[in-house]
Amino acid sequence: MRGGRKVVIAGTGLTRFVKHEEGKDYWDYGSEAILKALESSDMQWREIQAAFCGSVYTDTGSGHRTLGEIGMQGIPIVNVENACSSGASAFRLAYQSVATEIYEIVLVCGFDRVPKQGFLPSNFWPEWERYMGFNVQPANYALKAVRYMEEAGATEKDFARVTVKNRRNGVLNPFALFQKEVSIEEVLNSRLVAAPLRLLNCCPLAQGGAAVILCSKNKLKSKNKVITVVASVLTSGTYGAYTISGDSVKIHNPNLVEVATQQAWEMSGDGPEDIDVVQAYDTTSPSELFTLELLGFCKKGEAVHMLREGVFDLGGKLPVNTDGGLLSRGHPLGATGLAQIIEIVSQLQQDAGKRQVAGARVGLAHSMGAGPNSSITILRRER
Amino acid sequence: MCKKEIPLRRGLWVSSSTGDKKPQLMGSKCPNCGEIYFPKREKNICINCQYNGMEEVRLSRKGKIYSYTIVMQKPPGYYKGPVPYALAWVELPDGVRFETLLTNCDFENIKVGMDVELVIEKLHDDECGNQILTYKFKPDSD
Repeated sequence: MRGGRKVVIAGTGLTRFVKHEEGKDYWDYGSEAILKALESSDMQWREIQAAFCGSVYTDTGSGHRTLGEIGMQGIPIVNVENACSSGASAFRLAYQSVATEIYEIVLVCGFDRVPKQGFLPSNFWPEWERYMGFNVQPANYALKAVRYMEEAGATEKDFARVTVKNRRNGVLNPFALFQKEVSIEEVLNSRLVAAPLRLLNCCPLAQGGAAVILCSKNKLKSKNKVITVVASVLTSGTYGAYTISGDSVKIHNPNLVEVATQQAWEMSGDGPEDIDVVQAYDTTSPSELFTLELLGFCKKGEAVHMLREGVFDLGGKLPVNTDGGLLSRGHPLGATGLAQIIEIVSQLQQDAGKRQVAGARVGLAHSMGAGPNSSITILRRER
Repeated sequence: MCKKEIPLRRGLWVSSSTGDKKPQLMGSKCPNCGEIYFPKREKNICINCQYNGMEEVRLSRKGKIYSYTIVMQKPPGYYKGPVPYALAWVELPDGVRFETLLTNCDFENIKVGMDVELVIEKLHDDECGNQILTYKFKPDSD
């Protein structure tokens, strides 16, 4: 999207992500996050002009239900479902509505439940494929991980390293589901889910809520630093690349993440060297490595070497998933994309406490979902 | 009373036209861009180039493993086969890759690049005791 007026972050709100809480459902987490975001923005409920709400495992009218816990002002509310990119997709719609001068103050929220079945949406696969046993979400990542092991020389120990790094970061994030570190041995001894992926290589589903308020620069009230949205892009699958059933043999299109990356650099004017902190989608430990390569932060096959050298650690040259990522935070599908963005905001606000990346000024958040879809958001703090 | 053999889905495979009657998977080929699809495309439209007029093709019975995994827990609903089970991406020399179950193999011995061949085998029994058949691949015996 070219031009459009500048859109800034007014405030954010996040709840603790949890496995289960008696008597609480998605509207509780969503509304809690919204109230926190209003406080963080120093804005009033009645100033919100529109709302975009991301979730996957909730009900029809979930955004309406969630906002209805606080008030009913007649504003337009749109429910957004884009699998794991729901939160970021909702963010993009909110961003566009302010950039195109339709509104001045817009709310984005994301929230979710833990589905009873435990694995990710079965109805993504046609029925006959479910009978075949193909509808096992970590299995598709496992198939990609085995290729990554062949092509880049990655080992199970490398995948365990990603979990260890993210769990260590997660301990510094009071909102993360997991508040304890794990060792490489613990990861390698955890039970196999879809070989070579073990339980501790896979993010746990969770429930929780996240909210962000976006506004035009002239409406910004909070005394916080000015954080501008410089890129907000969304792509879907390109034929033959990164498919559920394995890439095409003959047709070589750029992967949807590569397309999203190009669009993001074009929109923001940045390149990988300008990014100080990254949220790279880690639904499973190897995913973090593939996506860092597709995002252009390293050449194909190099991410595993940079991981081993500590480049992606909190104290490294390019800290990745400083709040623990999905592996530590847990994964309420609708909230995840926003939780990633909120961590970038904290980093740019210099408000990330022990997780702070010194001098962070530009951050990138990437999430992907069944579809497939890929969303990239780049935020920049003005000097 | 029942006890028939019923394919999981029509149009996935046919018995070959040669004397040995061995099965072959049915795919679609685009005469415009050459892309091959398995399973056969229901609509005649090529997803790569949007050409309308795909042709039916019979695919090679042998291929190689492109990737594999061993699934350790029963997926939600539907699947009634043994657990753990092996899933793979198989690549056929025709130029197509797709997902399949593996059968008749030692999990320890599965390797990327391993030669495999098509079999039609029982997936599960339905409520009447009919055998639901599907395509799988097993290590190539030759």
